[in-house]
Amino acid sequence: MSSATDRTVKPARYRTIDLVTIATLGVAFGVVFWAWGKLYGVLDLAATIGYAPAGALLGGGWLIAGVIGGLIVRRPGAAFATELIAAAISMFVLGGTEWGFTVLVSGIVQGIGAELAFLAFAYRLFTLPVAMLAGVLAGIAGAIYEVFYYYPDWNLGHQLAYGGFFAVSGAVVAGLLGWLLVRALAEAGVLDAFGPGRERADA
Amino acid sequence: MRQAVVHANPLALCVVGIAAVPGSLAVRDLDTGLIALGAYLVAVLLLTPSVRYALICLALAGFAGLTVAWSTWRLGGHDEALAATAALRIVVLAWPGAVVAGYIDPTRLGDHLGQNLRLPARPVVATTASMQQLGALLGDWQQIDRSRRARGVGRHGGPLARARVAGSMVFALLVTALRAGTGRAVAMDARGFDEAGRRSWAEPAPWSRLDVAAAVIGLLLAAVPLALHLLR
Repeated sequence: MSSATDRTVKPARYRTIDLVTIATLGVAFGVVFWAWGKLYGVLDLAATIGYAPAGALLGGGWLIAGVIGGLIVRRPGAAFATELIAAAISMFVLGGTEWGFTVLVSGIVQGIGAELAFLAFAYRLFTLPVAMLAGVLAGIAGAIYEVFYYYPDWNLGHQLAYGGFFAVSGAVVAGLLGWLLVRALAEAGVLDAFGPGRERADA
Repeated sequence: MRQAVVHANPLALCVVGIAAVPGSLAVRDLDTGLIALGAYLVAVLLLTPSVRYALICLALAGFAGLTVAWSTWRLGGHDEALAATAALRIVVLAWPGAVVAGYIDPTRLGDHLGQNLRLPARPVVATTASMQQLGALLGDWQQIDRSRRARGVGRHGGPLARARVAGSMVFALLVTALRAGTGRAVAMDARGFDEAGRRSWAEPAPWSRLDVAAAVIGLLLAAVPLALHLLR
Protein backbone atom coordinates (compact mmCIF):
# COMPACT_ATOMS: atom_id res chain seq x y z
CA MET A 1 0.00 0.00 0.00
CA SER A 2 2.82 2.37 0.90
CA SER A 3 4.20 2.02 -2.61
CA ALA A 4 0.94 3.20 -4.12
CA THR A 5 0.93 6.34 -1.98
CA ASP A 6 4.58 7.02 -2.82
CA ARG A 7 3.77 6.91 -6.48
CA THR A 8 0.87 9.31 -6.28
CA VAL A 9 3.14 11.84 -4.59
CA LYS A 10 6.05 11.65 -7.03
CA PRO A 11 5.13 9.52 -10.02
CA ALA A 12 8.44 9.51 -11.85
CA ARG A 13 10.85 9.80 -8.95
CA TYR A 14 13.25 6.89 -9.18
CA ARG A 15 14.80 5.50 -6.04
CA THR A 16 18.51 4.68 -6.16
CA ILE A 17 17.68 0.98 -6.16
CA ASP A 18 15.47 1.49 -9.23
CA LEU A 19 18.30 3.16 -11.11
CA VAL A 20 20.88 0.62 -10.03
CA THR A 21 18.58 -2.30 -10.84
CA ILE A 22 17.82 -0.98 -14.32
CA ALA A 23 21.54 -0.54 -14.94
CA THR A 24 22.34 -3.94 -13.44
CA LEU A 25 19.70 -5.65 -15.59
CA GLY A 26 21.04 -3.75 -18.58
CA VAL A 27 24.59 -4.91 -17.89
CA ALA A 28 23.55 -8.51 -17.16
CA PHE A 29 21.46 -8.68 -20.33
CA GLY A 30 24.29 -7.03 -22.22
CA VAL A 31 26.31 -10.11 -21.28
CA VAL A 32 23.42 -12.39 -22.21
CA PHE A 33 22.96 -10.59 -25.55
CA TRP A 34 26.63 -10.99 -26.25
CA ALA A 35 26.44 -14.76 -25.62
CA TRP A 36 23.11 -14.97 -27.48
CA GLY A 37 24.68 -13.10 -30.41
CA LYS A 38 27.13 -15.91 -31.03
CA LEU A 39 24.43 -18.55 -31.12
CA TYR A 40 22.08 -16.23 -33.00
CA GLY A 41 24.66 -15.68 -35.74
CA VAL A 42 24.75 -19.39 -36.54
CA LEU A 43 20.99 -19.94 -36.35
CA ASP A 44 20.24 -16.75 -38.28
CA LEU A 45 22.59 -17.84 -41.03
CA ALA A 46 20.71 -21.12 -41.27
CA ALA A 47 17.43 -19.19 -41.48
CA THR A 48 18.87 -16.84 -44.10
CA ILE A 49 19.87 -19.75 -46.31
CA GLY A 50 16.40 -21.24 -45.85
CA TYR A 51 13.72 -18.57 -45.53
CA ALA A 52 15.17 -15.29 -44.23
CA PRO A 53 12.04 -13.84 -42.55
CA ALA A 54 11.94 -16.92 -40.30
CA GLY A 55 15.13 -15.60 -38.71
CA ALA A 56 12.90 -13.12 -36.90
CA LEU A 57 11.56 -16.05 -34.85
CA LEU A 58 14.83 -15.75 -32.93
CA GLY A 59 14.52 -11.98 -32.60
CA GLY A 60 12.58 -12.17 -29.33
CA GLY A 61 15.81 -12.85 -27.49
CA TRP A 62 16.84 -9.24 -28.12
CA LEU A 63 13.62 -7.87 -26.64
CA ILE A 64 13.63 -9.57 -23.27
CA ALA A 65 15.66 -6.94 -21.38
CA GLY A 66 13.07 -4.20 -21.90
CA VAL A 67 10.16 -6.42 -20.94
CA ILE A 68 11.88 -7.57 -17.75
CA GLY A 69 13.01 -4.07 -16.81
CA GLY A 70 9.43 -2.82 -17.16
CA LEU A 71 7.97 -5.75 -15.23
CA ILE A 72 10.37 -5.37 -12.31
CA VAL A 73 10.82 -1.62 -11.86
CA ARG A 74 7.30 -0.62 -12.97
CA ARG A 75 8.07 3.04 -13.57
CA PRO A 76 7.80 5.19 -16.69
CA GLY A 77 10.89 4.75 -18.82
CA ALA A 78 12.18 1.63 -17.05
CA ALA A 79 11.55 -0.73 -19.97
CA PHE A 80 13.11 1.67 -22.46
CA ALA A 81 16.16 2.36 -20.29
CA THR A 82 16.85 -1.32 -19.60
CA GLU A 83 16.70 -2.25 -23.28
CA LEU A 84 18.85 0.73 -24.26
CA ILE A 85 21.53 0.01 -21.65
CA ALA A 86 21.64 -3.68 -22.56
CA ALA A 87 22.13 -2.76 -26.22
CA ALA A 88 24.80 -0.19 -25.37
CA ILE A 89 26.69 -2.65 -23.16
CA SER A 90 26.69 -5.40 -25.77
CA MET A 91 27.92 -2.86 -28.31
CA PHE A 92 30.51 -0.73 -26.46
CA VAL A 93 31.90 -3.00 -23.85
CA LEU A 94 31.69 -6.45 -25.30
CA GLY A 95 32.28 -5.54 -28.92
CA GLY A 96 29.09 -6.21 -30.83
CA THR A 97 31.18 -5.24 -33.80
CA GLU A 98 29.14 -6.81 -36.55
CA TRP A 99 26.36 -4.24 -36.63
CA GLY A 100 28.03 -1.10 -35.27
CA PHE A 101 25.69 1.61 -33.99
CA THR A 102 22.67 -0.15 -35.43
CA VAL A 103 22.71 -2.15 -32.19
CA LEU A 104 22.07 1.05 -30.27
CA VAL A 105 19.33 2.15 -32.68
CA SER A 106 17.71 -1.29 -32.35
CA GLY A 107 17.82 -0.94 -28.58
CA ILE A 108 16.15 2.47 -28.72
CA VAL A 109 13.43 1.35 -31.13
CA GLN A 110 12.68 -1.93 -29.34
CA GLY A 111 12.77 -0.19 -25.97
CA ILE A 112 10.16 2.30 -27.13
CA GLY A 113 7.99 -0.58 -28.34
CA ALA A 114 8.07 -2.35 -24.97
CA GLU A 115 7.55 0.92 -23.12
CA LEU A 116 4.35 1.65 -25.08
CA ALA A 117 2.70 -1.50 -23.73
CA PHE A 118 3.31 -0.52 -20.11
CA LEU A 119 2.27 3.05 -20.87
CA ALA A 120 -0.98 1.80 -22.42
CA PHE A 121 -1.91 0.38 -19.01
CA ALA A 122 -0.68 3.52 -17.19
CA TYR A 123 2.02 1.50 -15.38
CA ARG A 124 -0.63 -0.14 -13.22
CA LEU A 125 -0.98 -3.58 -14.76
CA PHE A 126 1.92 -6.03 -15.05
CA THR A 127 0.23 -9.31 -15.90
CA LEU A 128 1.28 -11.95 -18.42
CA PRO A 129 -0.84 -10.48 -21.26
CA VAL A 130 0.74 -7.06 -20.72
CA ALA A 131 4.19 -8.64 -20.78
CA MET A 132 3.34 -10.42 -24.03
CA LEU A 133 1.96 -7.22 -25.51
CA ALA A 134 5.23 -5.50 -24.59
CA GLY A 135 7.09 -8.24 -26.45
CA VAL A 136 4.79 -7.93 -29.47
CA LEU A 137 5.12 -4.15 -29.69
CA ALA A 138 8.88 -4.32 -29.22
CA GLY A 139 9.01 -6.93 -31.99
CA ILE A 140 6.90 -4.87 -34.36
CA ALA A 141 8.95 -1.75 -33.66
CA GLY A 142 12.16 -3.70 -34.21
CA ALA A 143 10.83 -5.22 -37.43
CA ILE A 144 9.78 -1.84 -38.86
CA TYR A 145 13.25 -0.46 -38.23
CA GLU A 146 15.00 -3.51 -39.67
CA VAL A 147 12.81 -3.70 -42.76
CA PHE A 148 13.39 0.00 -43.35
CA TYR A 149 17.16 -0.23 -42.98
CA TYR A 150 18.15 -3.79 -43.87
CA TYR A 151 15.45 -5.26 -46.06
CA PRO A 152 13.75 -2.43 -47.99
CA ASP A 153 14.06 -4.40 -51.24
CA TRP A 154 12.22 -7.51 -50.12
CA ASN A 155 8.75 -7.98 -51.53
CA LEU A 156 6.05 -6.66 -49.22
CA GLY A 157 4.72 -10.12 -48.36
CA HIS A 158 8.11 -11.20 -47.03
CA GLN A 159 8.47 -7.96 -45.09
CA LEU A 160 5.11 -8.53 -43.43
CA ALA A 161 6.10 -12.13 -42.68
CA TYR A 162 9.25 -10.81 -41.02
CA GLY A 163 7.17 -8.50 -38.82
CA GLY A 164 4.77 -11.31 -37.96
CA PHE A 165 7.55 -13.69 -36.97
CA PHE A 166 9.23 -10.97 -34.91
CA ALA A 167 5.96 -10.21 -33.09
CA VAL A 168 5.33 -13.88 -32.31
CA SER A 169 8.87 -14.31 -31.08
CA GLY A 170 8.48 -11.16 -28.97
CA ALA A 171 5.31 -12.50 -27.38
CA VAL A 172 6.79 -15.90 -26.55
CA VAL A 173 10.48 -15.37 -25.90
CA ALA A 174 10.40 -11.84 -24.47
CA GLY A 175 6.83 -11.76 -23.07
CA LEU A 176 6.15 -15.27 -21.75
CA LEU A 177 9.73 -16.22 -20.88
CA GLY A 178 10.40 -12.76 -19.45
CA TRP A 179 7.31 -12.93 -17.27
CA LEU A 180 8.23 -16.42 -16.01
CA LEU A 181 11.77 -15.22 -15.32
CA VAL A 182 10.52 -12.27 -13.26
CA ARG A 183 8.23 -14.57 -11.27
CA ALA A 184 11.13 -16.94 -10.62
CA LEU A 185 13.34 -14.04 -9.55
CA ALA A 186 10.65 -12.85 -7.14
CA GLU A 187 10.48 -16.35 -5.67
CA ALA A 188 14.24 -16.40 -5.32
CA GLY A 189 13.83 -13.35 -3.09
CA VAL A 190 15.90 -10.84 -5.05
CA LEU A 191 12.99 -8.54 -5.96
CA ASP A 192 11.81 -7.73 -2.44
CA ALA A 193 12.24 -4.00 -3.04
CA PHE A 194 9.99 -4.13 -6.13
CA GLY A 195 6.40 -4.79 -7.08
CA PRO A 196 6.81 -8.45 -8.03
CA GLY A 197 8.59 -9.24 -4.76
CA ARG A 198 6.03 -7.39 -2.64
CA GLU A 199 3.19 -9.21 -4.34
CA ARG A 200 4.86 -12.50 -3.55
CA ALA A 201 5.24 -11.44 0.10
CA ASP A 202 1.56 -10.37 0.25
CA ALA A 203 0.31 -13.60 -1.26
CA MET B 1 47.36 11.85 -37.11
CA ARG B 2 46.56 8.17 -36.94
CA GLN B 3 46.09 8.51 -33.18
CA ALA B 4 43.19 10.92 -33.77
CA VAL B 5 40.51 8.37 -32.99
CA VAL B 6 42.27 7.43 -29.74
CA HIS B 7 42.31 11.03 -28.48
CA ALA B 8 38.87 12.10 -29.67
CA ASN B 9 36.26 12.23 -26.93
CA PRO B 10 33.59 9.52 -26.81
CA LEU B 11 30.74 11.86 -27.78
CA ALA B 12 32.57 12.93 -30.94
CA LEU B 13 33.10 9.26 -31.81
CA CYS B 14 29.41 8.58 -31.17
CA VAL B 15 28.60 11.32 -33.69
CA VAL B 16 30.64 9.44 -36.30
CA GLY B 17 28.82 6.16 -35.62
CA ILE B 18 25.34 7.64 -35.33
CA ALA B 19 25.67 9.84 -38.43
CA ALA B 20 26.41 6.73 -40.49
CA VAL B 21 22.94 5.37 -39.70
CA PRO B 22 20.83 7.95 -41.61
CA GLY B 23 23.67 8.48 -44.09
CA SER B 24 23.52 4.87 -45.23
CA LEU B 25 19.87 5.26 -46.21
CA ALA B 26 21.03 7.29 -49.24
CA VAL B 27 22.92 4.30 -50.62
CA ARG B 28 20.46 3.41 -53.37
CA ASP B 29 22.86 2.41 -56.14
CA LEU B 30 26.21 0.67 -56.44
CA ASP B 31 28.31 3.76 -57.30
CA THR B 32 27.05 5.71 -54.31
CA GLY B 33 27.74 2.77 -52.04
CA LEU B 34 31.26 2.23 -53.35
CA ILE B 35 32.19 5.92 -53.09
CA ALA B 36 30.76 6.19 -49.56
CA LEU B 37 32.65 3.06 -48.52
CA GLY B 38 35.80 4.44 -50.16
CA ALA B 39 35.48 7.68 -48.18
CA TYR B 40 35.20 5.74 -44.91
CA LEU B 41 38.14 3.58 -45.95
CA VAL B 42 40.33 6.66 -46.48
CA ALA B 43 39.27 8.04 -43.10
CA VAL B 44 40.11 4.73 -41.40
CA LEU B 45 43.55 4.60 -43.03
CA LEU B 46 44.34 8.21 -42.07
CA LEU B 47 42.76 8.50 -38.64
CA THR B 48 42.84 5.15 -36.85
CA PRO B 49 45.97 3.46 -35.51
CA SER B 50 45.04 -0.17 -36.18
CA VAL B 51 44.16 -1.03 -39.76
CA ARG B 52 43.96 -4.66 -38.70
CA TYR B 53 41.14 -4.00 -36.21
CA ALA B 54 39.26 -1.94 -38.80
CA LEU B 55 39.59 -4.75 -41.34
CA ILE B 56 38.27 -7.31 -38.86
CA CYS B 57 35.24 -5.07 -38.32
CA LEU B 58 34.92 -4.71 -42.09
CA ALA B 59 34.97 -8.47 -42.51
CA LEU B 60 32.22 -8.88 -39.89
CA ALA B 61 30.08 -6.09 -41.35
CA GLY B 62 30.77 -7.49 -44.82
CA PHE B 63 29.52 -10.88 -43.72
CA ALA B 64 26.34 -9.28 -42.32
CA GLY B 65 26.04 -7.47 -45.66
CA LEU B 66 26.38 -10.75 -47.56
CA THR B 67 23.53 -12.38 -45.65
CA VAL B 68 21.35 -9.36 -46.40
CA ALA B 69 22.41 -9.46 -50.06
CA TRP B 70 21.47 -13.12 -50.30
CA SER B 71 18.01 -12.62 -48.78
CA THR B 72 17.45 -9.49 -50.89
CA TRP B 73 18.33 -11.43 -54.02
CA ARG B 74 15.98 -14.28 -53.13
CA LEU B 75 13.07 -12.24 -51.77
CA GLY B 76 13.43 -9.07 -53.85
CA GLY B 77 13.10 -10.38 -57.37
CA HIS B 78 16.52 -11.95 -58.13
CA ASP B 79 18.14 -8.63 -58.97
CA GLU B 80 21.95 -8.81 -58.58
CA ALA B 81 22.58 -5.04 -58.57
CA LEU B 82 19.85 -4.51 -55.97
CA ALA B 83 21.36 -7.23 -53.77
CA ALA B 84 24.89 -5.82 -54.04
CA THR B 85 23.58 -2.35 -53.20
CA ALA B 86 21.81 -3.74 -50.15
CA ALA B 87 25.06 -5.33 -48.98
CA LEU B 88 26.95 -2.05 -49.44
CA ARG B 89 24.25 -0.18 -47.56
CA ILE B 90 24.69 -2.50 -44.58
CA VAL B 91 28.47 -2.08 -44.63
CA VAL B 92 28.20 1.73 -44.80
CA LEU B 93 25.61 1.55 -42.01
CA ALA B 94 27.48 -0.72 -39.61
CA TRP B 95 31.20 -0.53 -40.29
CA PRO B 96 32.03 3.06 -39.19
CA GLY B 97 30.18 2.57 -35.92
CA ALA B 98 31.81 -0.79 -35.32
CA VAL B 99 35.26 0.79 -35.71
CA VAL B 100 34.66 3.81 -33.46
CA ALA B 101 32.85 1.68 -30.84
CA GLY B 102 36.16 -0.07 -30.24
CA TYR B 103 37.74 3.25 -29.21
CA ILE B 104 34.95 4.41 -26.88
CA ASP B 105 35.66 4.03 -23.17
CA PRO B 106 32.24 3.60 -21.50
CA THR B 107 33.38 5.27 -18.27
CA ARG B 108 34.55 8.36 -20.14
CA LEU B 109 31.30 8.28 -22.07
CA GLY B 110 29.49 8.47 -18.74
CA ASP B 111 31.49 11.57 -17.77
CA HIS B 112 30.59 13.22 -21.05
CA LEU B 113 26.91 12.26 -20.99
CA GLY B 114 26.59 13.84 -17.55
CA GLN B 115 28.67 16.98 -18.10
CA ASN B 116 28.29 17.83 -21.78
CA LEU B 117 24.83 16.56 -22.61
CA ARG B 118 23.58 17.42 -19.11
CA LEU B 119 21.73 14.16 -18.84
CA PRO B 120 20.32 13.63 -15.32
CA ALA B 121 23.26 12.79 -13.07
CA ARG B 122 21.73 9.98 -11.02
CA PRO B 123 20.84 7.62 -13.91
CA VAL B 124 24.16 8.33 -15.64
CA VAL B 125 26.22 7.67 -12.51
CA ALA B 126 24.18 4.61 -11.50
CA THR B 127 24.68 3.16 -14.99
CA THR B 128 28.38 3.94 -15.12
CA ALA B 129 28.84 2.46 -11.65
CA SER B 130 27.00 -0.69 -12.65
CA MET B 131 29.16 -0.98 -15.75
CA GLN B 132 32.13 -1.45 -13.44
CA GLN B 133 30.45 -4.71 -12.44
CA LEU B 134 30.75 -6.10 -15.92
CA GLY B 135 34.08 -7.80 -15.23
CA ALA B 136 32.65 -9.35 -12.09
CA LEU B 137 29.57 -10.51 -14.00
CA LEU B 138 31.66 -12.15 -16.71
CA GLY B 139 33.62 -13.85 -13.93
CA ASP B 140 30.35 -15.01 -12.32
CA TRP B 141 29.19 -16.41 -15.65
CA GLN B 142 32.39 -18.44 -16.00
CA GLN B 143 32.10 -19.65 -12.43
CA ILE B 144 28.50 -20.76 -12.94
CA ASP B 145 29.59 -22.53 -16.12
CA ARG B 146 32.51 -24.26 -14.39
CA SER B 147 30.54 -25.36 -11.35
CA ARG B 148 27.93 -26.83 -13.65
CA ARG B 149 30.52 -28.70 -15.61
CA ALA B 150 32.08 -30.02 -12.40
CA ARG B 151 28.68 -31.41 -11.42
CA GLY B 152 28.22 -32.93 -14.86
CA VAL B 153 25.37 -30.62 -15.85
CA GLY B 154 25.16 -29.10 -19.30
CA ARG B 155 27.54 -29.00 -22.25
CA HIS B 156 25.98 -32.17 -23.62
CA GLY B 157 22.64 -33.45 -24.77
CA GLY B 158 20.46 -32.08 -27.54
CA PRO B 159 19.80 -28.44 -28.34
CA LEU B 160 16.78 -28.39 -26.03
CA ALA B 161 18.74 -29.70 -23.05
CA ARG B 162 21.45 -27.15 -23.77
CA ALA B 163 18.92 -24.35 -24.03
CA ARG B 164 17.51 -25.33 -20.64
CA VAL B 165 20.98 -25.25 -19.11
CA ALA B 166 21.68 -21.86 -20.72
CA GLY B 167 18.37 -20.59 -19.33
CA SER B 168 19.18 -21.69 -15.80
CA MET B 169 22.61 -20.08 -16.12
CA VAL B 170 21.02 -16.80 -17.15
CA PHE B 171 18.76 -17.10 -14.12
CA ALA B 172 21.68 -17.72 -11.78
CA LEU B 173 23.53 -14.77 -13.28
CA LEU B 174 20.52 -12.49 -12.79
CA VAL B 175 20.08 -13.56 -9.16
CA THR B 176 23.75 -12.85 -8.44
CA ALA B 177 23.66 -9.53 -10.28
CA LEU B 178 20.45 -8.30 -8.64
CA ARG B 179 21.70 -9.22 -5.17
CA ALA B 180 24.90 -7.29 -5.79
CA GLY B 181 22.85 -4.40 -7.20
CA THR B 182 20.70 -4.18 -4.07
CA GLY B 183 23.82 -4.03 -1.94
CA ARG B 184 25.34 -1.40 -4.19
CA ALA B 185 22.23 0.78 -4.05
CA VAL B 186 22.27 0.72 -0.24
CA ALA B 187 25.97 1.55 -0.20
CA MET B 188 25.46 4.44 -2.63
CA ASP B 189 22.62 5.89 -0.59
CA ALA B 190 24.68 5.55 2.59
CA ARG B 191 27.14 7.91 0.92
CA GLY B 192 24.43 10.43 0.10
CA PHE B 193 23.91 9.51 -3.56
CA ASP B 194 20.17 10.11 -3.53
CA GLU B 195 20.12 13.43 -1.70
CA ALA B 196 23.27 15.09 -3.03
CA GLY B 197 22.70 18.68 -4.14
CA ARG B 198 26.03 19.32 -5.77
CA ARG B 199 27.80 16.51 -7.57
CA SER B 200 31.41 16.19 -8.63
CA TRP B 201 32.60 14.11 -11.56
CA ALA B 202 35.54 11.76 -11.84
CA GLU B 203 37.05 13.42 -14.89
CA PRO B 204 36.55 16.70 -16.74
CA ALA B 205 34.80 16.34 -20.10
CA PRO B 206 36.37 18.87 -22.44
CA TRP B 207 35.66 19.56 -26.12
CA SER B 208 38.95 20.19 -27.87
CA ARG B 209 39.47 21.24 -31.48
CA LEU B 210 40.26 17.63 -32.26
CA ASP B 211 36.86 16.54 -30.93
CA VAL B 212 35.05 19.13 -33.02
CA ALA B 213 37.07 18.05 -36.06
CA ALA B 214 36.24 14.38 -35.43
CA ALA B 215 32.53 15.11 -35.16
CA VAL B 216 32.58 17.26 -38.31
CA ILE B 217 34.47 14.58 -40.25
CA GLY B 218 31.89 12.04 -39.12
CA LEU B 219 29.06 14.23 -40.35
CA LEU B 220 30.83 14.94 -43.66
CA LEU B 221 31.47 11.24 -44.27
CA ALA B 222 27.81 10.48 -43.64
CA ALA B 223 26.88 13.32 -46.01
CA VAL B 224 28.85 11.73 -48.89
CA PRO B 225 26.15 9.24 -49.90
CA LEU B 226 23.43 11.84 -49.26
CA ALA B 227 25.13 14.38 -51.54
CA LEU B 228 25.71 11.80 -54.28
CA HIS B 229 22.10 10.69 -54.04
CA LEU B 230 20.78 14.25 -54.32
CA LEU B 231 23.11 15.11 -57.22
CA ARG B 232 21.78 12.29 -59.33
